[in-house]
Amino acid sequence: MFIALIGILVGAVIGFLLPYTYNTAYSLYISVAILACLDSVFGGIRSNLENNFSVKIFVSGFFGNALLAAFLAYIGDRLGVPLYYAAIFTFGGRLFDNFAAIRRIWLNKRGRDKVRANKELKDKGEF
Amino acid sequence: MKNQNPKIILGLFSIIVGILISTQMKLKVESIAPITLKSLQTTKDEITFLNNEIYEMEKIIEQKEEELQTIMDIHKGEENIVDILQDDLEVNMTSSGRTALEGPGIKITMYDNMSSEIIGLDINDDVIHDVDILNILNDLKIAGAEAISINDQRVVATSEIICGGPIIRINGKSIGTPFFIKAIGDPKLLMASVNAPGTYGDILRSVYQIGFEPELQESIRIPAYKGNFNYTYAKPVGEGE
Repeated sequence: MFIALIGILVGAVIGFLLPYTYNTAYSLYISVAILACLDSVFGGIRSNLENNFSVKIFVSGFFGNALLAAFLAYIGDRLGVPLYYAAIFTFGGRLFDNFAAIRRIWLNKRGRDKVRANKELKDKGEF
Repeated sequence: MKNQNPKIILGLFSIIVGILISTQMKLKVESIAPITLKSLQTTKDEITFLNNEIYEMEKIIEQKEEELQTIMDIHKGEENIVDILQDDLEVNMTSSGRTALEGPGIKITMYDNMSSEIIGLDINDDVIHDVDILNILNDLKIAGAEAISINDQRVVATSEIICGGPIIRINGKSIGTPFFIKAIGDPKLLMASVNAPGTYGDILRSVYQIGFEPELQESIRIPAYKGNFNYTYAKPVGEGE
């Protein structure tokens, strides 16, 4: 969790310092891609906490989701249908799901036994 | 790859996300609302409207420059101020309806339904009303009529057209049927505006069976307005819009 926050902050600083910008026309695609990337990072943190982190899945998800989201936004623009809503809802929803899971794991880890916490989570049916 | 610490990878990719976010923020995109067809159309209309306004303003500028030129000429003594004022007076008299005008146009003869049969449910449907005249006048004005008269009463800015029972009143005078509406302008256009299928005149004639006979005329004479313009309350506020 903290590593991600620190990473995003460091990245933001680097981004501000870099002179490079892209065309404003692409901003919609990039913003949807950012959402997908954020979701991937949250998913990565969660799987790391659940001890089933896989580099391959994480990296492919990171780039694949971002590209797919940007592609959806692009196609939607061409067709005149706001298809990027699909990406926003999916990744936005998953983002909160992942965050909820991270929160629970993290909070439960502090107080109780981790195994017990996981068991409780499974009982509740929440992640 | 597999031996790497997941935290490092997460950190690296977080940096990528951070770079993307900050780059996006640097662009200062106000709103990324998608362009819908409707908003596109609205913007288009706005642009057309603004362009028209610019065009009109340019025309006004041109006009004012010409005026300025005239005034400069007067100042230099190349033109006589009396002549210019005379021209001005003529223009103003023409536009206020103080002069008789002549030109091509149409003449419309209107009379009540002469048939003994009553059309429709109401006897009122068979007679000409003030509203009918007003609608015809409006159609003519839209078609670019430059001067209009009804039974030799010039229609000016203050002309009223009201119902007075079997007659209508215009410029304070009562007139009865038949009505002769004369209009100067592009004859074909004026004719089309009252005679084409679906126009008010056409409906009057074909549905209500009211006498409505427009005819093209090479030359029409429209008399001057004979009343007075009295301004008790309104006061002029200099020139300009």
